[in-house]
Amino acid sequence: MISKNIPMCQAVLEHHRLLPLLPRFNIRLGFGEKSVDEVCRLNHVTTDFFMEISNAYLDDDYIPQTDLSLFPLGDLVGYLTSTHHYYLEVAIPKIERKIHQLLDGSALSEKERGLVSGFFNDYRKEFLEHVSREEQIVLPYILELEKQFLKEKPDGQFMKRLQGYTIRDFAREHDRLETSLENLSRLIIKYLPPFEDFDLCHQVLTDLADLVRDLIDHAHMEDKVLVPRVAELEQHLLRKFEA
Amino acid sequence: MKRLNFILCVEAYLLRKGVAAVLQRIPGAYVVREFGAVDLMAHYLKNHAVDFLLICDTLFEKATDLFIEEPGLLERTILLKKYPVRPEGAGKFKEVIYLTDGKQEITAKINELLNPYFRNHREEPHSTLTEREKTIVRLVSMGLTNKQIADKLFLSTHTIITHRKNIIHKLGIKSVSGLTVYAIVNNIITIDEVT
Repeated sequence: MISKNIPMCQAVLEHHRLLPLLPRFNIRLGFGEKSVDEVCRLNHVTTDFFMEISNAYLDDDYIPQTDLSLFPLGDLVGYLTSTHHYYLEVAIPKIERKIHQLLDGSALSEKERGLVSGFFNDYRKEFLEHVSREEQIVLPYILELEKQFLKEKPDGQFMKRLQGYTIRDFAREHDRLETSLENLSRLIIKYLPPFEDFDLCHQVLTDLADLVRDLIDHAHMEDKVLVPRVAELEQHLLRKFEA
Repeated sequence: MKRLNFILCVEAYLLRKGVAAVLQRIPGAYVVREFGAVDLMAHYLKNHAVDFLLICDTLFEKATDLFIEEPGLLERTILLKKYPVRPEGAGKFKEVIYLTDGKQEITAKINELLNPYFRNHREEPHSTLTEREKTIVRLVSMGLTNKQIADKLFLSTHTIITHRKNIIHKLGIKSVSGLTVYAIVNNIITIDEVT
C-alpha cells in the first residue's frame, strides 16, 4: 500500500506495477522530491482518487479507505477511458506486432500460423466491441447519473430507465477479457512446435502475462471501486426521487 | 451480481486482515468496512445499511450497549472466538466462527448465511462444458457450420444455436478462433484435426 505523503519516486520504485498507471493519469516521470500528493495536485489529479485506484491495483484484498463519494465520477470515467486507450493503442498492437514477427520467422505450418494470427485478430475485434460498448453505453450512463443527481428534480425518463438498467446489470454482463489470452499462452507453451527465436517468444509470453494481469486488475478496480460507487449514487438518487 | 455487505470489528490487526481476505474470496460476500474498536463501528452501523456484522469476542463484550439499543442486531451478528472446551451451537448469534476453523468450514458457514439471498439466481459462469457441448465445440473447431453440425448430430439448427449460446455464456469466448484455441488447450481436439 502507498500513502500520499511518501515521495512519489519511492512509491514507484517500490511498486513498479504503478508505472503503467501513470500515463492514464497524465502523470510523467521526473518527480524530484515531490510527494504523491504534490505530484497529483500538480497534474490536476484528485489525490484520494489516485490513492484508491493505485491501492486497489496493488492489492487484491484492498478495501476502499476513503468514502467513495469523495471524488467526482468524471475522474473515474476519465481514468477508465484512458485505460481503454492504453489497451487498444499500446498494449494490444505491441503484442500483435511481436506475434507476427514471431510467426514470420518460425517453421510453423500454414494451419498453425493461421490459427494464431486468426485468434489474435478476432481477439482484438472482440476487445474493441467490448470497449465501445462501455464507452457508448456505460460511461455516458454514469456521467448522466451524476448530472441528474446534482439537479433539483431528476428527469422522469432517466428515472424510468434507472429502474430498468442499473450498474449491477452491467457488472453481471461484464465479460472477462483475459481468459482467451491465457489460452493463447497455453497454446504456445504446450501445443505448438517450439519457436526458433526464444527471446522473442519470451517477450510475447511476458507481454501476454502483463496484459492478463493488468486486465484482471482493471476488472477488479471496476468491481471494487466503480460499481459500488455508482450503485451508491443510484440508491441516493432513487431515495431523493421517492422522497 | 447481488452482494451482501459485511462489516468487521476485530481488535487484532493481523486477525482482522486475515478475516477480511478470507471473506472477500467468497462470491457474494463483500467487506465494506473494517474496524478495530467498537465506537467507530457503532457510529457507522447507525448510518449505513449492513447485512452482517462479524465481531471478535473481546470487542463483543465491550459492545453490550449497542446490542441492547439494537435488539435485531444479534440476528445479523457472527461471533469470532477461540474453540470452546465443549462444543456449543451458535446460540444467540447468527453464526459462530472459531479461530481453528479451516477454509472450508468458514466458507460453508458464510455460504449458509448467503444462500437464502441467492437461492434463485446463483450463477456459475465458468462451469465446465457438458459432453454434448464439448462435441459441438469440437465440430465448430473443425470448421463445420451450425447446419452441418445439426445434420451430423440429428438435431435442429435451433438446438445447436441454443447450445452455442450456452457455450459462449459458460466460457466467455465468442469467436470460432477463440473456441478452437480453447478446444486445443483443453484436449477436446488436436491441432491436426483443426481445419
